[in-house]
Amino acid sequence: MNLIRIKYKKWYNILKDGIATNNPIAIAVLGICSALAVSNRVENAIAMGIGVTFVVMASSAAVSLLRSFIPGKVRMVTYMVIISTFVIIFQLVLQAFYPTIADSLDAYVGLIITNCIVMGRAEAFAVKNPVKYSLIDGLASGLGYTFVLIAVASVREILAFGTFLNIRVVGPNWINWVAMTMAPGGFFVIALMIWGIRELTKNYETVV
Amino acid sequence: MNQNLKLIVFVVLLGLITSGLLLGADALTKDRIELNREAKLKSAVLDGFDVEYTFANIHDIYADEVNIIVIDGYTFYVDEVSNKVSYQFEGSGLWGPIIGIITLEPDFETIARITILQQEETPGLGGIVAERPFLETFVGKKMTPSLDITKEGATQDYEVDAITGATGTSNAFEIILNTNYETYSALWQARNE
Repeated sequence: MNLIRIKYKKWYNILKDGIATNNPIAIAVLGICSALAVSNRVENAIAMGIGVTFVVMASSAAVSLLRSFIPGKVRMVTYMVIISTFVIIFQLVLQAFYPTIADSLDAYVGLIITNCIVMGRAEAFAVKNPVKYSLIDGLASGLGYTFVLIAVASVREILAFGTFLNIRVVGPNWINWVAMTMAPGGFFVIALMIWGIRELTKNYETVV
Repeated sequence: MNQNLKLIVFVVLLGLITSGLLLGADALTKDRIELNREAKLKSAVLDGFDVEYTFANIHDIYADEVNIIVIDGYTFYVDEVSNKVSYQFEGSGLWGPIIGIITLEPDFETIARITILQQEETPGLGGIVAERPFLETFVGKKMTPSLDITKEGATQDYEVDAITGATGTSNAFEIILNTNYETYSALWQARNE
């Protein structure tokens, strides 16, 4: 396949859209609550990213598969039931087969249910598109979320604990910046990051 | 009418399928989760006694090394070699139960080790309660007259530094440790007299 041709492929455009052009956190400003809660350690950010990516892909595929049967009136409830089912199954499988990961992830897995990105992709994409594209879209959104989370967590962990992935990276005179461990610190970092990204990409929301 | 009927059928089917999936997943994983939970408790007790083990032989070593004494329905884990004693503590944290294992030196007041088995505190803040570096600060501290998790900076041998940014969890943890200690130490002393 010719490299230049790739950018005319639908899957490439879906991937690009989810990761960059329509990044769920930086551009669509979704999933902020969970991003604030878990982005004070890089380790947590990676764990949450994996969980969200899996759940978005699975629930998008399921919604896409059922899309011709779901009655319009109950579609939100249907998404919610499907998402919760996947989150609980994911949690059980982790606890049974990967107990050490489950221990460090347990508090976040439950949080995935409240993540608007999962619901958002079901409503905006999966319900109108075939399964294979819904899977790619889920992967793209999950990765887009994970990348921003890791970027925010890198800044916060270094400032708050002086560590990166629990390895000390600053000198002995460093004073931990406590505000960064808390949600307000996360707000500052995410807001500055979104501002920077929008300034660089010239992506402004215009008030009419 | 036809529309409404379709809707009801869909909702009932969705409910049946998802509950079926959940029941299936629960049945498949229940035994393994129970085994993992047991292994976690056993490893917490063995770590407290400084006994070497691997995940393959943990059940055998536990059966050999740990002496279980039950007094009035409360379980004590005793190490015959070092005379250290462990018991399980539990209580309400800020958001959910905090359950763990505490190991005390033979004097039944100096802390040898604490391990958290289950907690649901805020990730990165209260969640630090389950992390090794925080729990290490309890080693060598005394449970008498009463353990104090303080914001002022620990100076006494019954004081431990609180978790920054997690006052609620720190207070809850202090209460859990102290109330459980009252119950267990009363029983342990009554037995030894």
